Amino acid sequence: MNAEESYEIRLKVNGRTQHVTAPARRLLSDALRGELGLTGTHVGCEHGVCGCCTVLVDGAPVRSCLTFAVAVQDKDIRTVEGLAAGDGELHPVQEAFKECHGLQCGFCTPGFLMTACALIEQNNDPTEQEITEAIAGNLCRCTGYQNIRAAVRRAAEITRSDKR
Amino acid sequence: MAVGTDSARVDAVDKVTGLALYPADAVPKDALHAVVVFTNQPHARLVSMDLSKTVASPGVVTVVTAADVPVNEYGLTLFDQPVFIGLDDTGRSSVPCDVSRWEADHLVVVVAESLSEARRASALIDTEWEPLPMASDVASAKADEILVHPGSSTNTYHTLQIRKGDAVLGMEAADVIIEGTYELPHQEHAYLQVEAATAWIDEQDRVTVETSGQWVHEDREQIAHALAVDEEEVRVRYAAIGGAFGGKEDMSLQIVMAVTARKLGALGINRSVHCGWSREESIVGHHKRHRATVTARLGATSEGFITAVEADVWLDAGAYNYTSNKVLGNLHLSVAGAYNVPNARIDSRAIYTHSVPGGAFRGFGGPQGAFVAESQMNKLASKLGMDPMELRQRNALTDLSDGITQSGLPEGVGVTRVIDACVERVPPSEELPEYPPFSPIASLPAKAEQLRQGRGYAVGMKNVGFSFGFPEACEADVVFHGDADEERPNRVELFHSAAEVGQGVHTALTQMVAYAVGLDFESVDGFFSDTSTGGDSGSASASRLTFMAGNSVLGAVEEAEKAWADGARPAAGHFRYKPPMTEALDPETGEGQPNFCYGYMAQAVDLTVDVGTGHIRVDRVVSVHDVGKAIHPQMLRGQIEGAIAQAHGYTLSEQLVVENGRIQNPRLSQYLIPGIGDVPARVDCVILEAADPLGPWGARGVSEMPYITYAPAVTAALYDAAGIWINKFPLTPSVVLEHLASAEI
Ligand code: FES
Ligand code: FES
Repeated sequence: MNAEESYEIRLKVNGRTQHVTAPARRLLSDALRGELGLTGTHVGCEHGVCGCCTVLVDGAPVRSCLTFAVAVQDKDIRTVEGLAAGDGELHPVQEAFKECHGLQCGFCTPGFLMTACALIEQNNDPTEQEITEAIAGNLCRCTGYQNIRAAVRRAAEITRSDKR
Repeated sequence: MAVGTDSARVDAVDKVTGLALYPADAVPKDALHAVVVFTNQPHARLVSMDLSKTVASPGVVTVVTAADVPVNEYGLTLFDQPVFIGLDDTGRSSVPCDVSRWEADHLVVVVAESLSEARRASALIDTEWEPLPMASDVASAKADEILVHPGSSTNTYHTLQIRKGDAVLGMEAADVIIEGTYELPHQEHAYLQVEAATAWIDEQDRVTVETSGQWVHEDREQIAHALAVDEEEVRVRYAAIGGAFGGKEDMSLQIVMAVTARKLGALGINRSVHCGWSREESIVGHHKRHRATVTARLGATSEGFITAVEADVWLDAGAYNYTSNKVLGNLHLSVAGAYNVPNARIDSRAIYTHSVPGGAFRGFGGPQGAFVAESQMNKLASKLGMDPMELRQRNALTDLSDGITQSGLPEGVGVTRVIDACVERVPPSEELPEYPPFSPIASLPAKAEQLRQGRGYAVGMKNVGFSFGFPEACEADVVFHGDADEERPNRVELFHSAAEVGQGVHTALTQMVAYAVGLDFESVDGFFSDTSTGGDSGSASASRLTFMAGNSVLGAVEEAEKAWADGARPAAGHFRYKPPMTEALDPETGEGQPNFCYGYMAQAVDLTVDVGTGHIRVDRVVSVHDVGKAIHPQMLRGQIEGAIAQAHGYTLSEQLVVENGRIQNPRLSQYLIPGIGDVPARVDCVILEAADPLGPWGARGVSEMPYITYAPAVTAALYDAAGIWINKFPLTPSVVLEHLASAEI
């Protein structure tokens, strides 16, 4: 592949396959934000430190600023825009962050939501330690994390009661 | 929705669904892309600049330089910075434009069809610079051999002094004197949303800039000044703001993007232009919390009554003033603490250096002042063998005190209240609870014999609102809607410019209006932060918006009620709230009334230190605040917890390395802000509500307060744990180990 030349890249985002024409080195974060207009995925540091750009790839949290779009062709990509149901009903993590004030400026929020979503879909009854470990790689400059922790706990609780 | 209860944030749904648009998100499809080229010269004269290759580069639309700025100067309080460094400026600037004094001075804006083309063309700028000698820190600038701004004869451009009683006699009367020199570090704001802006000429021919900042009207004023146009010809509005903390109070992209949009307009190019900074550009390109050096003496009797305070403050302003003169004022006021001081000599100076400008950052000089004042008090308590809170109680300011500026204090002084509440919650005599052992490295379990626990306290106060005679005011507009025959309105529109930086002000104002009018929360529609729809609110700073904006909306509601009663439909109300006027301090004695309201705080910190590795873990923080009235308790706690997390980084991990005017670590991988694993394990907020006589429903402000006292409470706890006083921070493991080694512990 040539760095300058453009290629057609197939991206399956939030259940929809779309085609993006971009150079081979186009980052997933840039492809999502630029080509696909999904600006809910935020870029805070550009090199894997802050976690703002976290999306799910086949259910696992991935830093889209460190991922080439071509590398995730045909995989299931999920962004914050794909969390709520079609009718607008919020996903349990969204509901919980809203309810528990797990956000202030909100810039880190999509990354936390995706990370928390991955945790809770695997384990809907995480311990405090598991919550801390799951979100330890995401930075927030506003909240001090207490309400974020509470929100993740609450999201697990909502998920459990939904299942019942 | 009553004040004092928790509602959902008005912006919550947008922020959890990804719909909230930050400045880099709403870029029109056909927008041009701009790159702001920094000089990359901490001190050098521009000899020549050739842009021909840049202009000829593929995709380039235009370049913008000093020649394009009618009045090439900028400054929130002093016009001491050129908007662009250049050789062809219009000559209408009060500051020479051919010399770069900061690595992030702006040189050229390159506009191209795409970002990559703009970047490529930027690399083709051909410049020749004549290096000039550097005065890159306070020590080298003090001598005035190298002047940062040669128009003046000294780098020490702003001085303040307090002369109260007789400090010499006061020191003579003391049984004990505590002396110390304190080194206060820089701090980077590290808001997660870096600077970005889009600019265009709107349908009314206004230069329009959409960005994130803290005060739309100030941005507009600065843009209009540089463009030499009426403010009405400029429009500024804010997108969602991803954190600010003082770091977005000064201009970043506002002026240069406005100039760029105007140039494009003049070229007949009717397209928006967008620019977004990288993280590195953000860290290099905006001001920092000031570094400072303070030498202080504190005299007291053996019973612990203060007899005198002396202090010499040197604040490193960096290359340009920004708000350094105001920050210096706050540091100056807070360096003697929240205590009765009968005799004082305080000399405070802001000095220009060839380094990154210091400017606003949550606390605004308060954290630096309190670190000195509270470290001195903690050392005094230990020297006298006194309970540190009893010592503070003996000296605490009250409503009867004259204060350090000899003019009394605004009614409702809360120092003794917060001390009492803190002691009640965390009695100094109480044994420390046993916290779980810790090791920062899982594979290296802590050695129990190396762990020491300690507890420290600090107490403080911080002004709410602008100080020193600034014409403080805040405007609000509301419109009541409803039918002519209705007794009460069924819907209200609120127009306000208060910047929602994350603190929740849009929610709080909506809640206040709903409550004041007697409607539910959903019946109030807010329109915010757009100079074309809202009046001047003043800045989101100085913990002022709950107080100031709250009073403004109450006034506007009252006006609209009158219009409604007179039968107007819709009924509009406009109000401009003005608090009591403050005063600049007397240049000789420092007498005067600098502030109209304060918030009061006390903190107790428990920590564990590993004396083998130097690692510190903060186990618990109890943060006591007299807030007057908690309008929205959950958001209020969010402010406390968030401020403590930032203060924790300031105290323990955040180390900005600046060498010879250049920042060495402009990345979040090198400048370490706390994650969830780093912040205090537990934060207990204690909220006191002694109403401020002037606050809306009695509310004061809180956003900066928890910051003020955190660092000195931590260093006191470290002393309690390990027997070492450290007069500087961040308390990185190496700094702790170094001090432990020299104390032979
Ligand atoms: S932007 Fe990807 S981790 Fe920070
Ligand atoms: S809410 Fe602002 S960074 Fe997390």
